[in-house]
Amino acid sequence: MTVQSEASSNFSRRGFLGLTAAAAAVPLLAACGGGSSSSSSGGGIKFWDMPWATPAYNDAAKKITEAYAPTGSNGKAGYQIIQWNNFYQTYSSAIASKTGPAVSTGGGFQAFQFEQQGQIAYADKVVEALKKNGQFDDFLPGVLEPFKSDKGYVAIPWQLDMRVFWYRKSLFDQAGVALPTDWASLLEAGKALKKIGAVGFGTGAGAGNNFGNHSMIMMMVNNGGGVFTKDGQLDVMNDRNVEAIEFLLELHSNGIIDPAAVSYTTDNMSAQWKDKKIGYGVFQAGAAERIGDTSGDFAVASPIAGPHGDKGTLVFPNNIMMYKNTPSQESSEAFLVYYMGQLKQLWQQKLMAALPVFKSITELPEFASNANNVKIVKEWQPIAKTFAAQGSTLNANLAVLDGGQALNQFTQTILTGKTDAKTALQAFKTGLESVIKK
Amino acid sequence: MSTTTAQSGLARARRGLAPGGPGGGPSNRKSKLSSQTRRTFFWLLLPSIVLLVLIHGYPLVYAGVQATHDGSLIDTGNFVGVENFGHVLSSPAFWKAAQFTLWFTIVGVFGSWLVGLGLALLLRTKIPAGGTFKILLLLPWVVPIVVSSTAWNWLVATPDSLIPSLFRSLGLGTPLFLADPNLAAVMVMAFKVWVSFPFMMMMISAALASVDTTVYEAASMDGASKWQQFSQITLPLIARSTYISWILMTIFCVNDFPTIYLLTGGGPVDATTSLVVLAYRTVFQDFQTGPGVAIAFLMTLTLVVVSVFLYRQIRKSSVE
Repeated sequence: MTVQSEASSNFSRRGFLGLTAAAAAVPLLAACGGGSSSSSSGGGIKFWDMPWATPAYNDAAKKITEAYAPTGSNGKAGYQIIQWNNFYQTYSSAIASKTGPAVSTGGGFQAFQFEQQGQIAYADKVVEALKKNGQFDDFLPGVLEPFKSDKGYVAIPWQLDMRVFWYRKSLFDQAGVALPTDWASLLEAGKALKKIGAVGFGTGAGAGNNFGNHSMIMMMVNNGGGVFTKDGQLDVMNDRNVEAIEFLLELHSNGIIDPAAVSYTTDNMSAQWKDKKIGYGVFQAGAAERIGDTSGDFAVASPIAGPHGDKGTLVFPNNIMMYKNTPSQESSEAFLVYYMGQLKQLWQQKLMAALPVFKSITELPEFASNANNVKIVKEWQPIAKTFAAQGSTLNANLAVLDGGQALNQFTQTILTGKTDAKTALQAFKTGLESVIKK
Repeated sequence: MSTTTAQSGLARARRGLAPGGPGGGPSNRKSKLSSQTRRTFFWLLLPSIVLLVLIHGYPLVYAGVQATHDGSLIDTGNFVGVENFGHVLSSPAFWKAAQFTLWFTIVGVFGSWLVGLGLALLLRTKIPAGGTFKILLLLPWVVPIVVSSTAWNWLVATPDSLIPSLFRSLGLGTPLFLADPNLAAVMVMAFKVWVSFPFMMMMISAALASVDTTVYEAASMDGASKWQQFSQITLPLIARSTYISWILMTIFCVNDFPTIYLLTGGGPVDATTSLVVLAYRTVFQDFQTGPGVAIAFLMTLTLVVVSVFLYRQIRKSSVE
């Protein structure tokens, strides 16, 4: 037997333990390892963007970026797509290694998280430039203000992700019931829809589906409540929230919320809408195109009033941020001003499902020809509030609320119906307190 | 044939020796490597060692730093000692996840082993189109987990999905497989077994292929029943391979993120949240880096302990 064959035939304890330790370390590596993602743009501005819509959107955004012709000493811009999968880790590791972008889109509250860590360059000069070129006055009401912190504008909004009620006309006709205008009529409509085997409050909280979470907060906001006070303190247990959750539990106990909704992914929920199983429920702008039914049978409903007459919904103003790690802050600002001026192209080409932030884009024929879009802008946008409600200023803690374990668990508890409102809200509050930075 | 002779035959068989084969024990030849050879080996191994240290050592050390600090993914923050570990160990969510991880691992390891063993034994017999079956049975392991989890989701997710509809047509009600916490846990475990049994089947098939068939003939001539042949020849002969597959599958199960996350996301109401899912959520959803990495450290420690225990079983089986 050769040395080699003998060595391979012996089962080495040390070697085995080494292999075992290496394999067992996988969670550690996964937990702390961050792949740095750097893109070279020839010393210019690195602009990172997310897949906000179909690949055609990113192609168009890339063309806009590459068409940028800087003036003076400002640098050109390079475009890179960052996938949503582990995006926060991607940004964090890139920023930590100084290989991150100078300008980027990203998660709704990402700018505030990185601001908290001293990585964000304030956009006050961009706002000044937008005032000069007239775009400042073009913003839809209440869109820009949430980004203004004590130190300056943390980011600039560029699109709105709105939560609205959609309905199926044919199911309401079949059930012989009118569209709800308030919570009481929502309950009655839900009961009528249930009789024909349809769901009266469609939502979902399965893997990766945040519509359930948003439904909870949306109903609180619809009742004049919210998770925070006007000055940003936690206010989970207020009466309006309790009332909203009691109403949702009432919907559940009446079978108006699908008992399987707790496990519905976004695809499951879309399929339920498409298959005419849901008569009324929470979805977003562009839902008709998403489920592939633009016949007019699936349409946006008008906002409904809570028991105290309040109306409201949730909006996520997605934004573009600038980072301190840039070849030139002036170049970052100049590029961002240019990019904001080109946004209308994306809606003109009908690449965006989300709403624009500029009034002028809502008046484009390509946008205004969609009745659902028009209805959302006219009826829902004016009453929309952010996750910061009852306050208005966005902050880093909202990232913990949006998609965090506390809200997920709270939502799933409500959607299983095995709780009461105060107990669930108390657990939600305790969960938030343990992770929110004061 | 006397009982003594039969036992002697089974003992020989367990060592994989056919009648008339060499009777010696494991080779006792131990090469005394010269110091020059050792040096050569060292220099040949050095690049790999350096690479391993860089790939595994740096993240491990960095993870250690994060687990003992209160910072974020960008900023390490302040040193807090073992506070994060204390915080994690006093959290009911951690123990709930640990309990689910334990059940998920037990069912995942032994469920897939039992199915894999049964199919490996079946495929060992001469059945028509055995090769085709073998390839088809490998599909759950080969198909990307994103695809298979989506397929499973569509089979059970809504009351009108195929399986709930089948139950309804049989008068068994409409079970909510992913919405009921207990059923969701069962579904995730069943999915894990389904994904993993081909691996076990291949490991066992490889082990069975190395067993000389004449040992069964010898055992048969000695009067051993089929069950005796299985329990006293087959299982002992594949024991080493079995322990290795158990160790690997234990690691696969404990570290398994996509199977759970894609099917249930850890829900409903944390019913299928394992430790690795909890670690992910803690770091990337709650942005609590220190406690999240501390969970990963505790998992690693547990895995090493379990692996060493099972490794000892391998050595024991080798000696026997």
